[in-house]
Amino acid sequence: MKKSKIFWGYLVLALVIYGVGQALISMNVIDLYYQNMLITMCINLMLAVSLHLVIGITGQFSIGHAGFLAVGAYVSAIVTMKLGMPFIVAILAGAIVAMLAGLLVGIPTLRLKGDYLAIATLGFAEIIRIVILNIDYVGGAAGMQVSHMTTWTYAFFTALITVIVISNFTKSRHGRACISIREDEIASDAMGINTTYYKVAAFAIGAFFAGVAGAIFAHNTYIIQPASFGFLKSFDILIFVVLGGLGSLSGSVISAILLTFVSAYLANFPETRMIIYSLVLILVMLYRPTGLMGTKEITDLFKSKKKGGMTHDE
Amino acid sequence: MTSNTLLQVENMGITFGGLKAVQGVNMVLQQGELVGLIGPNGAGKTTSFNMLTGVYKPTEGNITFDGNLLNGKQPYQVTRSGISRTFQNIRLFKDLSVLDNVKVANHSLAKHTILSSIFRLPTHFSGEAKMEQESLAFLKIFGLDKYKDELAKNLPYGMQRRLEIARALAAKPKLLLLDEPAAGMNPQETQDLMELIAFIRKEFGLTILLIEHDMNLVMGICERIYVLDHGQLIAEGTPLEIRNNPKVIEAYLGEEVVD
Repeated sequence: MKKSKIFWGYLVLALVIYGVGQALISMNVIDLYYQNMLITMCINLMLAVSLHLVIGITGQFSIGHAGFLAVGAYVSAIVTMKLGMPFIVAILAGAIVAMLAGLLVGIPTLRLKGDYLAIATLGFAEIIRIVILNIDYVGGAAGMQVSHMTTWTYAFFTALITVIVISNFTKSRHGRACISIREDEIASDAMGINTTYYKVAAFAIGAFFAGVAGAIFAHNTYIIQPASFGFLKSFDILIFVVLGGLGSLSGSVISAILLTFVSAYLANFPETRMIIYSLVLILVMLYRPTGLMGTKEITDLFKSKKKGGMTHDE
Repeated sequence: MTSNTLLQVENMGITFGGLKAVQGVNMVLQQGELVGLIGPNGAGKTTSFNMLTGVYKPTEGNITFDGNLLNGKQPYQVTRSGISRTFQNIRLFKDLSVLDNVKVANHSLAKHTILSSIFRLPTHFSGEAKMEQESLAFLKIFGLDKYKDELAKNLPYGMQRRLEIARALAAKPKLLLLDEPAAGMNPQETQDLMELIAFIRKEFGLTILLIEHDMNLVMGICERIYVLDHGQLIAEGTPLEIRNNPKVIEAYLGEEVVD
């Protein structure tokens, strides 16, 4: 079982990263600013990986991911702040409600294709934002106060679970079914794949983890406002996925971490920040038009190195 | 309908807007037959295939397969009931490996659920192992097993055609629809293909309906032939009958000049 060995290897690596992070935090080596950056990385990673499942794997161009983030954030905030339940319950509640929202949106809209689906999902995200804006129970435009409960431990392990679940889903008959839809929907249908079912399933799983990210996000910021979940947020997430390479899980992870870092670093130059950020994006897309990783995974790089590149035997 | 009838098409037709693309098609396929469907370009052959597989919904008529009415079924339901197809313009999953292409068609072979895969339960591993084994067996029959890890798009053209047939067979059909399997092949490749079709027919006990322009292939292996022209069946019979049918000659070569 070589495959499971690789899995355990990654798990150990992840735990080491967690341990180092936790040690640095508890020894006060890294201050609150960097701690917050680490948590933001985890949140962006979850968002990127969950959208990667919808766009990169299933090939459904959804750009309303911030809507599910908002649902997760507000539902979890209600659970902790208004109902006084523990944080972990709030995370689950946020995720499940976001998933239900995903089903609700996915079932009617996923029969649309390409640009039409993009516009429908974008519209959905805006509807969510405007509905929240008009509910006084959650503070309307002024926002809702949320206690700070997110720690490095919560952020890291939710992100880790997200990656494991989505990677496991992808590497199964279900993931292959989703990829076949991306590759050729008509052929996929003709091979006996229930394409509607798999599109909705991928959408719902993506929404679930966007909801988790929302819960972690809400409890990291002291206050959540509808303005944080506008369509620009959806585009930020989309950029992670496209920049990482459509169809590459490790690409999404790398680009989410990288761009969070770049964007945090650029906060030192407020005047030119957005210009430099855009330049970084343009340069990457010029030199790596298929994204940082293309459709490859980190593991493929090791494999091809060992074999000495692709070999054609005719 | 006799007990041996696998597919019965009655008065099948479809209209796109005001255009009657196919109308009044009647067809009967007996178990184990190899039947050809020919006709000039634009005669409605592929449209008929699309109706048989559920891609288009016929606007009139009935399709009965294996005792069940197929009208209104989704393509994936049609496939699961036992009709599988290849495409005129190859539609492989280009960025998936050769093995994974076949595994996609093997989808319904294993029954493990999404949750079982996410939590990596034992049913996931046994299901995936079964799919792997079965798919490799199909690749071996088609001589594609040595390319199993290659991406489908990197295969040479003839191999891609073979892979498409392998993939269609992995869906466990009773009736196989081949849409121009020899298109773009050289005479040697066509010869190999004819042998392959004869072989899989025997090996899997298949009924085959094929669209083809290569008359050597059609006349060589088909027992019966249907001829479509302008959306209507104009002839039916053995290759010899079709070859001498004046209507068919007219459809292909035009009317005889009478002076």
